[in-house]
Amino acid sequence: MPDSNAALPPLAQGASWTDGLRLPLGRFVLEVRHDMPAWKQALIVGASILAGIFISAVILVAAGVPPGDLVGEVGSTVIDRQSFHAVLVQAGPLILVGIGASIAFRARFWNLGLEGQMVWGGIAATAVSIYQIGPEPLRLPVMALAAMLAGSAWVALPVFFRMKFAVNEIIATLLLNYVATYFLFDLLYGDWKDSGDAYPHSAQYAPAERLPDIGYSLNAALPIALGVMVIIWWLAEFSRFGFYLKFIYANTTMARLMGVPTQAVIWAAVLISGALAALAGFVISSGSEGRLTQGFFEGYGFSGVLIAFLARNNAVLAAIVAFLIAMLFVTGQSLQIFYQIPFAMVQMIQAIIVMCVAASEFFIRHRLRFQH
Amino acid sequence: MQSVLLSWLANSPALAVPYALAALGLIIGERSGVLSLGAEGLMLVGALAGVGAYLSFGGAPLLALLVAMVAAAVVSLLFAVLVVLLRVNQVIAGLALVFFCQGMTNLVGTTTGWANRTVSGLHDLPLYPMSELPVVGRILFTHDIVVYLTLPIFLIVSHFLFRTNYGLRLRSIGENPEAADAAGLNINLYRFAAVVGGSALVGLAGGYLSVVSAKIWIAGMTSGRGWIAVALVIFARWHPWRALLGALLFGGIEALIPQVAAAGIRVPEYFMLMTPYLATLGVMVWQGLRGKVDADAPAALGQPYVREERI
Repeated sequence: MPDSNAALPPLAQGASWTDGLRLPLGRFVLEVRHDMPAWKQALIVGASILAGIFISAVILVAAGVPPGDLVGEVGSTVIDRQSFHAVLVQAGPLILVGIGASIAFRARFWNLGLEGQMVWGGIAATAVSIYQIGPEPLRLPVMALAAMLAGSAWVALPVFFRMKFAVNEIIATLLLNYVATYFLFDLLYGDWKDSGDAYPHSAQYAPAERLPDIGYSLNAALPIALGVMVIIWWLAEFSRFGFYLKFIYANTTMARLMGVPTQAVIWAAVLISGALAALAGFVISSGSEGRLTQGFFEGYGFSGVLIAFLARNNAVLAAIVAFLIAMLFVTGQSLQIFYQIPFAMVQMIQAIIVMCVAASEFFIRHRLRFQH
Repeated sequence: MQSVLLSWLANSPALAVPYALAALGLIIGERSGVLSLGAEGLMLVGALAGVGAYLSFGGAPLLALLVAMVAAAVVSLLFAVLVVLLRVNQVIAGLALVFFCQGMTNLVGTTTGWANRTVSGLHDLPLYPMSELPVVGRILFTHDIVVYLTLPIFLIVSHFLFRTNYGLRLRSIGENPEAADAAGLNINLYRFAAVVGGSALVGLAGGYLSVVSAKIWIAGMTSGRGWIAVALVIFARWHPWRALLGALLFGGIEALIPQVAAAGIRVPEYFMLMTPYLATLGVMVWQGLRGKVDADAPAALGQPYVREERI
């Protein structure tokens, strides 16, 4: 459609709205900061997280939770033995999805399909359980391996689409989540449904297919996650692969021109990402649930993105942030039980915190100065 | 077979409307250079606000749709402040907006009791005498008023974007904000207005889904339609009329789902439900096969503009 506008009309003078907000005595001007000491940055980010928590608390109080009880519920996640136990159980899969997200983000690939990859992890592990693949002593490693392969295969599709057809991976990975979920429903309402009861879940795993206890009635999910954390931390910080990732993150074109095998590195990073998300699906199915359930993956996708974002794609920081998010999850579960607050509230709080932290970056990078 | 075909074609336009309006709203924002991934969340806001207004103001469907538009526009202010004023990464802000809206609508829907309550919605308005025509009447002239209004809305927006000075300025900001700024345009004001105005259309799409199509609000009821609309914008290469065509295609696919079962073809239910998502992926791959996707994108799409960082 050709444009009929031949020329713009005469220009308005001094169009300033925010970059020069005029007040009677002077105006605000925006300056770009060149650097800021690390402690000051940490202070600003910390303050923004507190602001996010405060805003969330106000919303929850408005929704009918008495303020005193809210403080009590959050406090009990670390003080109360049972709640703290729940936090530790919750932390395992969250660490895995958080690290999974960050390794893909390091390759500048938006893997928003973490939930779909978790679903495939659960499906693959359950398939090994149902068809009794492998000798019993080796059943658990086979399940974990099958889960990771399935997750990698599922994420390989959007990687291929992006590399080959320039398909936007944000949308592709998100859409594939819906496809994976419907496939899960087809299995759970169909062939894999436990004939023993009316619920849409698979039959209980055999004892040999459950993650072993490591004492304090905790399963092996947390040690697995911490082991993954150490491996990925080493990979990202000290290996050649990690160096390539840093190069690609900084400037992909330059990295390619300098001889970094960018495509292979991106492929590897995203396949690892999918495998870790699927591993999270496996530790939930084989750990806390003991079977394939309908909604075991819900909420983890965005949490993974949030953890990677807050941890700045660092594996060790991701584990710490994941622990805090696990506290939020447990608080959300008890609010759901005692105050009928929908669990989606947890997502809202996470989103508020992301917005606050993202906004705080503006104040790290810029300075607002009042000019007379 | 013939009746199946007829009811498929007759159902398609109403199912295409949410895709069309949401994609059109996104095009306005993205033409100004703001990548709007928040559509899924804003549609939910519109959907809840529409049903809420319907239940609160004594069942006035058009007022409910208006409230849906306003609600989505108000929530999008938050997004606009983040990406336009505070220069937050637009992908992060868009995703956060979606999950914020998912949580918030769920919470509000539960605490107000608007969730899972049926509304009577909007009646069909047959355009007499055209609606009496044998086949065409049912396919084209027996719909609710929003379906008819979609075409004028597209005409107006298209005219605005491509035939007015304001539209030209808005597009120039999306292509080259540095030059537009140097020419004296207020980048932030235009982007703010584009995001909020576009979001009102996305809210209308959401309100249509709940008040007119489903006649009920259920948590998470948009089920990915917002993401499909985002894909549709890329497929349409940021052009309103191509977006309308794409929306008709997706509306047609969605309308096909119940017809397949009615025609006696046995496909597992959940595989049928995958089709819109798979079709979207297929369309995106096909688009990629035809050539460079990004060539038609506004050049400054997704890039925050800070005058002080201008080179």
